Amino acid sequence: MKMTNEEIIQIINNSLIKEFELDNKKMVPEANLYDDLELDSLDRVDMVIVLENAFKFKIREEKEIRDIRTLGDIHNFVINKIRDIEKVS
Amino acid sequence: MRKNTRFPRQNNFIVVLMNLTVFILLIVMTIIGLILSPPTFFILKIFGRYETLRISRLIVWIYGRGWLAIIKPFTRFQSQGLRKGYITPPCIIVPNHLSFFDTFFMGALPFSDVCFAVRSWPFKMAWYRPFMELGRYLDVEGASWEESFEACKKEIQRGGALLIFPEAHRSRDGKLGRFYSGAFKVSVATGAPVIPLCITGTGNMCPPGQKLLRPAKVRLAALPPVYPADFPGPLGHMEMRKAVKALMAEKLNEMGAYRPI
Repeated sequence: MKMTNEEIIQIINNSLIKEFELDNKKMVPEANLYDDLELDSLDRVDMVIVLENAFKFKIREEKEIRDIRTLGDIHNFVINKIRDIEKVS
Repeated sequence: MRKNTRFPRQNNFIVVLMNLTVFILLIVMTIIGLILSPPTFFILKIFGRYETLRISRLIVWIYGRGWLAIIKPFTRFQSQGLRKGYITPPCIIVPNHLSFFDTFFMGALPFSDVCFAVRSWPFKMAWYRPFMELGRYLDVEGASWEESFEACKKEIQRGGALLIFPEAHRSRDGKLGRFYSGAFKVSVATGAPVIPLCITGTGNMCPPGQKLLRPAKVRLAALPPVYPADFPGPLGHMEMRKAVKALMAEKLNEMGAYRPI
């Protein structure tokens, strides 16, 4: 069944909160991963694996990941990725 | 006006006496250390064939022992599990972080060959910096993750112990903060166990933002080693991080860290 954007965002936020001990109140789309969520460069690598596990896709080779700066960027990236997969299948 | 409930009411005379005594003795110890260090380096290097980093770490450890002696009249200090055989290098020691003086209490560790992986600001203190550089302490804030990771792995491979504060910052409320994964990633990569080290009381003695010391009961408790082999998979280091944090939270609770004073 096709997930809505809101459901995808919910899964992303819940996964990141659980795995990186993030504060739910800070989970706004404009939150910067480094300055606001205080993720470090290792967290960024781990975040990719967390998202892969949550959505059962492979994204670690995707170049767009390097441009991700905010939580909103992650939301958009994952939503686009899922929509691409849905088109193919 | 808001009442300060963090500290118990203490005799001002004792607080003043403690600060005068401790800071004067600390300055004297630092000056004596700075004077005696060059000949100590020379003697141990020439006659003992010690590595430079081992000598520097030994001096830092002796300084920590001196700190424990200086604060003894004003602090009830207890340690648990800080003995040879219970903690054995190579290992990664992960303490919770409450105060600037937490690192000084590492003089209670049973060995001196410890590499501190810390943020940049301690390197800016001119009187400590030469020892930190000669001891090859790691400035994890000033280096990339990849550089720090390689340096940590080398330290474990040479048989030393690493000390990393997984919270990265001092706790402002005495509670355990968010744990970062770096120490656990190094553990998984090298196979070296993690030694959780629970600290209580240093936040009462000198919390972040305070300049005056206060008498306190300080406790250090080392928990049994946690082995990375128990956390397989690509996110094993994150599972290990969560498990270690849970163990520390339980022990800190048992030690009374979260009880109101």
